[in-house]
Amino acid sequence: MNRQHIFKFFISLALVVCFVDGHAQQNNLIVKQDTIEVDKDPVPYKTNYGFRLGVDISKPIRGLIQDFYSGFEIVGDYRISRKWYAAAEIGTEKQNTIEDFTKSTAKGQYIRLGMNYNSYNNWLDMNNEVYLGFRYGFALFEQTLNSYTINSGNTFFDSIPNDIPQTVDGLTAHWTEIMVGIKAEIYNNIFVGISGSYKIMMSVDDPTNFKTHFAPGFNRVYISQTGFGFNYTVSYLIPFRKK
Amino acid sequence: MKLHHHLKKMKKYSIVLSLIILLTNGCEKDDFCIEEVTPNLILRFCDVTNPSNTLAADGLTIWPEGRDSIVVNQTLDSIAIPLDVNNEQTIYNFSSGAAIDQITIYYTVNEIFVSRSCGYKAEFSNLLAIPTNSWIEYIEQLTTTVEDESAAHIQIFH
Repeated sequence: MNRQHIFKFFISLALVVCFVDGHAQQNNLIVKQDTIEVDKDPVPYKTNYGFRLGVDISKPIRGLIQDFYSGFEIVGDYRISRKWYAAAEIGTEKQNTIEDFTKSTAKGQYIRLGMNYNSYNNWLDMNNEVYLGFRYGFALFEQTLNSYTINSGNTFFDSIPNDIPQTVDGLTAHWTEIMVGIKAEIYNNIFVGISGSYKIMMSVDDPTNFKTHFAPGFNRVYISQTGFGFNYTVSYLIPFRKK
Repeated sequence: MKLHHHLKKMKKYSIVLSLIILLTNGCEKDDFCIEEVTPNLILRFCDVTNPSNTLAADGLTIWPEGRDSIVVNQTLDSIAIPLDVNNEQTIYNFSSGAAIDQITIYYTVNEIFVSRSCGYKAEFSNLLAIPTNSWIEYIEQLTTTVEDESAAHIQIFH
């Protein structure tokens, strides 16, 4: 019962955000028409082009469930042809990492830019997508070593934790992503989407005598330099002119 | 009608979503510390009459000052003993039979990050060891740094 309320709250919040932003975008609309042939019966139909803006609602939900995480992400895409969309996500994340001997916090902003390819053939006036996407991601963040204990390898002497926080800022990370996702139009111009992505880190800055454990937009950084992520989005397609 | 159908789908998605949240954030890949961490100080016992030979010390009991024993009444020709990483010195007591000697070991602690699961290790530099002389004749420092356990750091001649 609580989860549904949270759900509805965030959808309403997302719609409020989108409407406010949508209004500002109205002067920059580009409207297109599209005609396709279905089987032997050429049926010309118009499909929606325009700018779609939304929020990743999985991040605020995760923030509520996981006390070590907080984040917010805005997603957008823009249809540039029948199958191709230009897409971007921008957001901010903060995560605490607690390991056996270190406690650290990473926080910062990120942006992902790329394209989605819709492989789903919509019937007539449906606007659903099953897509494959590619992204280039960039993050600018800081990491703080909150506390650490020397791993002495013995129990004869107590290892006293060092609690003086040390922050290094201006850290950057670059990575690429492949994603698969689904977007469904559930109501007039309102879309719900879910996607999963596989990320490959290209380069990440580490603080001196430490290591970056989490990069915003990328998630946890392991020795493998790869990671996974997902979105659960609600978006609104900015209204277009019908002909 | 269409809205109801899609809301049902969303409910199913949110269950799948919660599972994915738990799974992807529960996976820890670098879970085990397999790298070497803080090295112990390696001592070798040698024959004062024949300095190039090792000579096991009999009835050896070793304990850091004010703490429990590391070994009790053993015959050993070498041993690895831990140094206190939160101090700049450690005092060890060595009793061989009835005689007790103390070695005060001075050092500087260098903290070095190893890995996510291992954290930080200590390496020791500016090593200086000073013994008392009941059963220990003299000691020889083979190095002023303790960076690993690949070789003895101090030789004790008795």
